[in-house]
Amino acid sequence: MAFFFNRGRSRSPADVVRSTKDLLLRAQETPSTPKADEELAKQLGQMKVIVQGTQDQHLPEQVYALIQATLQEDLLYDLSRSIHLLPFEARKDTQTIFSHILRFRPSSYAPDKDPPVISYIVHHRPEILVELCRGYSHSQSAMPCGVILREALKFDVVTAVVLYDQSHEGEPAGRLSDLKPNAPQNGEGVFWKFFEWIDKGNFEVSADAFTTFREILTRHKSIVTAYLASNFELFFGRFNNILVQSNSYVTKRQSIKLLGEILLDRANYNVMMAYVERGENLKLCMKLLRDDRKMVQYEGFHVFKVFVANPNKSVAVQRILINNRDRLLRFLPKFLEDRTDDDQFTDEKSFLVRQIELLPKEPVDRSRPSRDAQSGVNTAAVA
Amino acid sequence: MADDMASRYQMMEELGSGSFGTVYKAIDKANGEIVAIKHIDLESSEDDIQEIQQEISVLATCASAFVTQYKASFLKGHKLWIVMEYLGGGSCLDLLKPGVFNEAHVSIVCQQLLQGLDYLHSEGKIHRDVKAANVLLSNTGKVKLADFGVAAQLVNIKSQRNTFVGTPFWMAPEVIQQAGYDFKADIWSLGITAIEMINGEPPHASTHPMKVLFLIPKNPAPRLEGPEYSSTFKDFIAQCLTKDPERRPSAKELLKHKFIRNAGKTEALQELIQRKQEWDGCRGISKDVKYYAETLKSISKPSVEDEDEWVFDTVKAPTMRTPSKNPSMWVPNGTDWTTLDEDDESPDPSQLMEDMHISQLPKPPKHQANSTVRRTSGFERSPSIRRANTKRRSSGVKQPLGLDLSFGNSPSTVRQFRRVSDRVPSEAVPPRSSHGLDENTSPKVITGDSTSKEAQLGRRAYSKAIGMSCQEVLSTTGDGEKREAISRLAEAWSDLEMVDPEGLYHIIRVMNERLQADSRLSALQPDSPSRPRLVLAQNNPHLKSHRRRQSTTEPPPQSPLSNLPGQQVSGMEHTKQLSDVLYQRWAEGLRNRWGF
Repeated sequence: MAFFFNRGRSRSPADVVRSTKDLLLRAQETPSTPKADEELAKQLGQMKVIVQGTQDQHLPEQVYALIQATLQEDLLYDLSRSIHLLPFEARKDTQTIFSHILRFRPSSYAPDKDPPVISYIVHHRPEILVELCRGYSHSQSAMPCGVILREALKFDVVTAVVLYDQSHEGEPAGRLSDLKPNAPQNGEGVFWKFFEWIDKGNFEVSADAFTTFREILTRHKSIVTAYLASNFELFFGRFNNILVQSNSYVTKRQSIKLLGEILLDRANYNVMMAYVERGENLKLCMKLLRDDRKMVQYEGFHVFKVFVANPNKSVAVQRILINNRDRLLRFLPKFLEDRTDDDQFTDEKSFLVRQIELLPKEPVDRSRPSRDAQSGVNTAAVA
Repeated sequence: MADDMASRYQMMEELGSGSFGTVYKAIDKANGEIVAIKHIDLESSEDDIQEIQQEISVLATCASAFVTQYKASFLKGHKLWIVMEYLGGGSCLDLLKPGVFNEAHVSIVCQQLLQGLDYLHSEGKIHRDVKAANVLLSNTGKVKLADFGVAAQLVNIKSQRNTFVGTPFWMAPEVIQQAGYDFKADIWSLGITAIEMINGEPPHASTHPMKVLFLIPKNPAPRLEGPEYSSTFKDFIAQCLTKDPERRPSAKELLKHKFIRNAGKTEALQELIQRKQEWDGCRGISKDVKYYAETLKSISKPSVEDEDEWVFDTVKAPTMRTPSKNPSMWVPNGTDWTTLDEDDESPDPSQLMEDMHISQLPKPPKHQANSTVRRTSGFERSPSIRRANTKRRSSGVKQPLGLDLSFGNSPSTVRQFRRVSDRVPSEAVPPRSSHGLDENTSPKVITGDSTSKEAQLGRRAYSKAIGMSCQEVLSTTGDGEKREAISRLAEAWSDLEMVDPEGLYHIIRVMNERLQADSRLSALQPDSPSRPRLVLAQNNPHLKSHRRRQSTTEPPPQSPLSNLPGQQVSGMEHTKQLSDVLYQRWAEGLRNRWGF
């Protein structure tokens, strides 16, 4: 008899969805008025109560009805692109509504299957995901969109859609079934926009975008590994240029750390090997060691060590290390020497010193024969 | 862009500082509004910057009249500036200094706090560190919850947390037992805070915080007793301090409690603010105002000798930010790499002008006749604990979170900013309990008896050795964080010299003895001075306190650097112990969860 006790707000979920939709469409076209804002906030507040339930009552059938109506009216799409237009509390409510709807599973649903709304979105309405990412273009919507996205990115299908989308604004986004995992990216899809949001956004936007970016790159390893392999140049080109050399201290430090995490992930072994054979990448790292901020140096060290520890160093890498051997042997013992309580760091440092001492006088090409020609070209280009 | 943001604010005096950074008062030039700005030095923070961002996102999603309002945050160089609403009335802990609150005041504060908690809880947030020090008052008496250093955001309204955070005395039993807790944990802390306001201190305040962790779950819940308290107040406290979180009422329910319904208007709290101001006035506390001064970046710039730069191939490279398909193009040539990221923190002359300390004035005695807390030595209102992962992975794979619960200056643990008036520089002073009598007498007396031989020697030691050595080390230290630490130490020494030269002398003496007693450390020392040993009276408080400390912990032989007096005298060994215990508890919890 829920309707009886809820007389004050006895409107059905479908009604709430419909009026929210109308108000949203109006908000997108006309400048907001306090009255319209208030009405919109009220509707979203009601939706939140339905999806969230209260401490003492939670009605799955109501939630189910609400979700059906939401999909029918395509409300998630409209919400995703207008979060920045909403008033403060309504933005938070939208975040809650979205998160609950994305997570929702009817009790009959097999627990290993993706929730129904997630499946629906990746197959029929991937534009919702793209619009959520574009929420980073506005500081008002960055945080709520970030929270929703990270909720969605728990599912690998969502990660795939975000990584492979190449749609321009106003165009339909790529459906899951249309994605071509091995085709190289043109670098204009929504994933590549993250570099811009992280680099150009104000601190709050940039930091949240980075958190999502990190989530995309570290959560579903097999997808990411394949992606990085087929877009190696593009990805690390931007990563090195835009993020590692960012003017923002936080972006710089966080991205060096992320770089280390990506490279040292077992799943990314081939990516790591490709990265550490480039002399250019080593140079970048060595410059980080000489940054004037300790934590940047420290994060840089954890990438640098991979180059030195690699038993099959490319000729280019060997050459740089050999040319700088004396400098490195002078530099490393004094490097961050106040980290006396960090045994692991001290051990790793002395390991690197040993490795550098053991370097041959001249670069030795120990790489597999098939690689010879390739690294030869690299070296020539560098020299 | 960040610099634009920073220049929007006219920085003023320091409001307080913690191990984590400093809070300043500032004026928003755009609208003349007074704000508080927290400066967090990210270089000194090893833990994940992401955690700080998390804190900001919790803050940024709060908008309530009962919660300190977040305004903005941005980076300036490697400092993160967080702009918050300014509250001029101080914290409840400050306001407790002149004396305890009466019931009427407590009920107003509790009523306001409950509204704040009700807001947070309905937002799916747990504060996790409710205590008088984290309750701020505006000049008009408005009460606001502050310091979200350890606040948590629950994703689901019914979910629970398992992390071990908070401050021991105020912690709910279920938090200590790590049984999983929710909003109700804040209600317990509120009950403890109410006791703190009426008694001046939380229950068990005189017990070692480490022990408190065992007492809270084991003992029956604290109660307010005595005929001087009303029965509704006693009942309110009993409700808050219900050990079973299931049966503990929610904030919403407590708002209907008679004690809360009868609460007066917040304006009445202005009495407390006034009382504090008068009290400060009487005690001649003209604040030792510190103004904001931008740090000269140049000091910390490494002196790079050209010959030591890396030698790379001299490929002509275009500007380094040009994205290019050709990988060899990303690299700048060897000469321009130092120009990366100029912070250009050149000092603004007008601000430097303002950087005048009023240090010529005789410093007020820092020991305050403080009826509020009987502290155990050195342990001053234990800082909030928070989980943090400290040691980083070497393999890149995240290892189970490491934990650093050491207190004090470890950057990762403490996210608490004590307000200045609370930041008694006695941290580097022998235990205050030993001053019991002196504290209640007038300031003159404290210095009056300091003409003893020890006192003279202490002064001499300061002027001849300590002050200068601090100066000397400071002048050869480039790193900003270290410089700050050293100058804090120097300041502490100077305070000690002023307040208790005798104690200073004894510290030096004992330190000397210990240095010599250690076979390796004594080698560092020049010829041992063959000064005649002074025989100390058995009832000398300093001697006693030293004995006590010696009996509690035998300081492990450490490098001479980490054994500097600052550590010895501050009584930090207690917190070390605490941190060990906490670490153990945490490790146990982890083992259980991970099934080791």
